[in-house]
Amino acid sequence: MLRVAHYLNQFFAGIGGEEKAEIGPQVRDGFLGPGRAIQNALAGRGEIVATVICGDNYFAENIEKASEEVIRLLAPFKPDLLIAGPAFAAGRYGIACGGVCRAVINQMRIPAVTGMHEENPGLDLYRNEVYIIPTEASARGMNVAIPKMVNLALRLATKEKIGRPSEEGYFPRGLLVNEISDQTGAERVVSMLLKKLRGQSFESEVPRPNYDHVTPAPRIDDIRRAKIALVTDGGLVPKGNPDEIEMRTATRFGKYGLKGVDSLRPEDYEVRHMGYDSVFVRQDPNRLVPVDVMRDLEREGAIGKLHEEFYSTTGVANIVETMRRMGEKIAEELKASGVSGVILTST
Amino acid sequence: MVGSNRIVRGNKIVNPLGNADLDPQNEKELRRAIVENALEALQADVKEQTLFDQPI
Amino acid sequence: MRLELHRVKIQDVQFGDKTRIDKGVLYISRSELQERLEGDKRLGRVEIELARPGEKCRIVEVADVVEPRVKIGSDREDFLGSAGRHTIIGEGKTCVLQGAAVVMSDCRGKGEATISRESHGYIIDMAGPGSEISPFGQTLNIVLLPQPKNKVSAMDYQAALKMAGLKAATYLARAGEDLKPDEIEIYDLPPLTEVMKGIENLPKITYIFQILSLQFEPVPGEPTLFGKQAEGIVPTILHPNQVLDGAITSPVPGLNVQTYQIQNHPMIEELYKRHGKDLCFAGVILTVAHNNVADFDRMADIAASLAKWVIGADAAVLTKTGGGAPELAMARTAQRCEQLGIKTAIAMLHMGADFKDAKYGASTIFSMPEVDAIVSMGVPYMELTLPSVERVIGGPLSLSEDPTTKGEMVQWMGSIKGSLCQLGSSRLTAVRY
Repeated sequence: MLRVAHYLNQFFAGIGGEEKAEIGPQVRDGFLGPGRAIQNALAGRGEIVATVICGDNYFAENIEKASEEVIRLLAPFKPDLLIAGPAFAAGRYGIACGGVCRAVINQMRIPAVTGMHEENPGLDLYRNEVYIIPTEASARGMNVAIPKMVNLALRLATKEKIGRPSEEGYFPRGLLVNEISDQTGAERVVSMLLKKLRGQSFESEVPRPNYDHVTPAPRIDDIRRAKIALVTDGGLVPKGNPDEIEMRTATRFGKYGLKGVDSLRPEDYEVRHMGYDSVFVRQDPNRLVPVDVMRDLEREGAIGKLHEEFYSTTGVANIVETMRRMGEKIAEELKASGVSGVILTST
Repeated sequence: MVGSNRIVRGNKIVNPLGNADLDPQNEKELRRAIVENALEALQADVKEQTLFDQPI
Repeated sequence: MRLELHRVKIQDVQFGDKTRIDKGVLYISRSELQERLEGDKRLGRVEIELARPGEKCRIVEVADVVEPRVKIGSDREDFLGSAGRHTIIGEGKTCVLQGAAVVMSDCRGKGEATISRESHGYIIDMAGPGSEISPFGQTLNIVLLPQPKNKVSAMDYQAALKMAGLKAATYLARAGEDLKPDEIEIYDLPPLTEVMKGIENLPKITYIFQILSLQFEPVPGEPTLFGKQAEGIVPTILHPNQVLDGAITSPVPGLNVQTYQIQNHPMIEELYKRHGKDLCFAGVILTVAHNNVADFDRMADIAASLAKWVIGADAAVLTKTGGGAPELAMARTAQRCEQLGIKTAIAMLHMGADFKDAKYGASTIFSMPEVDAIVSMGVPYMELTLPSVERVIGGPLSLSEDPTTKGEMVQWMGSIKGSLCQLGSSRLTAVRY
């Protein structure tokens, strides 16, 4: 009989609504509120030994601290697994559920499962590390969500191999993993082509990417007064690569001074990038980061000023999320320096 | 959110703002033409992904 | 065109007085082979080492791997068209030393390499998990270690290294040419004008084979296509036997494609196997992945036109070479084919993928609605731990004598030569969980 812990927010625990969202973590024996449905779904394979509760605001504002408190409260109950929520579309609750699951997985080393709606901000934050079941937006979806969550949690607890997201009904966690097919790539591609030719349905092994739309920034009105910055993902770094930017799957970027620099000198730079041959850029780094031309334009008054640093990272096999965060940070810094336009060179 | 809205055509992957077949003066002029195109792109109103190709 | 591959199975490899094969053992006259290879003025001393499966041995800085083969009855010192004087390839008899492989190791110091890479380059382990995932961990390897000569440029060395491998492959295979082969494999396919005879109802499938990526500067003098570098070619139609018989070698940097795999081309083997049964194998079109849009659009247009108007193909399979960027060239070529009414399916490794992405489906760098039949052949960024070894062969002395090269190391799969294959031989597939 597995010992199950359940996490609820103040509302589903029956304590109160928004006005009770500041309450700190507390624990009760047995199940509460929706925990009853979980207990039923467990059907004798497990029982809820503890329900830990926390106010959504308290958790969202103190994720680290609240996670630790939750763990401390749960430890004496020795749970074998944890189920959180489901949180449906409630954002702070989703973040709390994901956070509790992650903490419990990492520190208590037990499996944890939660459920939420696909637009819940907690999804993207935790989906890499936590199994999350898709639910409806409102609590009307409770009866459908609970059995799915329980099912998956039980299988994780008995260390069964969990199949693909589409088969098992959880949100894809994003991990690209190699498996061994029973056929070679050549066999598979010829077979797939024959199916396509015959008008039979086939399943492509690789999906098309679907990048969403980015709202364009408004145009620069007065370019002659604008401060323009140069950025690159071609991996141009000062000799010695002081910031240790990786040659692929970069996690760092660097910013390098251009004060008094009229043109980039080849002896000052090197390239860390495994996706292109840097022979030409090494000969003349202006071919990647066009400082020489920008200085001319600056002198002529075509632009207001060239920003005194250029930013650089490496664009090969990158994690989109990592690059997005880097981009945000770079944009923040540039904005704070009064930069209104960027020329970004990509290789 | 992922995607570039103002895209300027460079020369080639291994030499985006240059051309090793040209002499230095002509190469710098080519670089300038691409950069000026980029400045034009920054001053343009765009609603979606737009490619700015410089005249040959 | 009828090609016979006479396979002589090699069970062991050793040094001996004379180069010969006796009871499945390949004996190699080290001095004779060295002398032959040292004749190339671009190289200094050429060391030769042997590495056998099961030995706790690690080969580093692996540039390429070649299967020993030679045209039987040809009096020319050549690698099937590449390493010397030309001969017609793709027909007649070719002797293959199966189970043996020539491994070329780059012995220069790190220097000013313009393509970023690991400090020890690519590896072959002869024992342990590294040997299980690569065919080269299971071949009897003859490793060439040519020392660079002073004042020889990086590109000249790389071309010379490739030639040394091809020369050694031919030299060794000569030891088998008079022997009775253990197996004879026949590859027989008529020209395009007749290949449909009797099987008019079967779809004509052509293979579009991308052989070079210009994201990396091509090494002049490298014998990529019929003995010459291939960067300037327009798409070219070949008979599949020409590919099997040495027309093409894998150009630097050989990312997940080795000459050995081209010689044993899995896609061509598969199309041959199914020819006459569920398809008609209608030729091979070679392409190059260009590094700018104008050129790869041009390449795509020409390749698709050849497929449509010269070959009359109903469908095409495509593979790529190089890193992530050539996905675009391959996808554009497939798209053009689709637009002309030729159905396509492509097979690729995920060299540019985001291996943690859950939202965007970021497994490819292209997104074209017509390119909707894609086979995954694995992602190279999975890590594995390689145990420590007793012996390191290859690379400059500074590397092979460095104790960390001998030690346990965590490597990404792509750095183990042969663990993945862009041409379709492996059963790996990448799945998003």
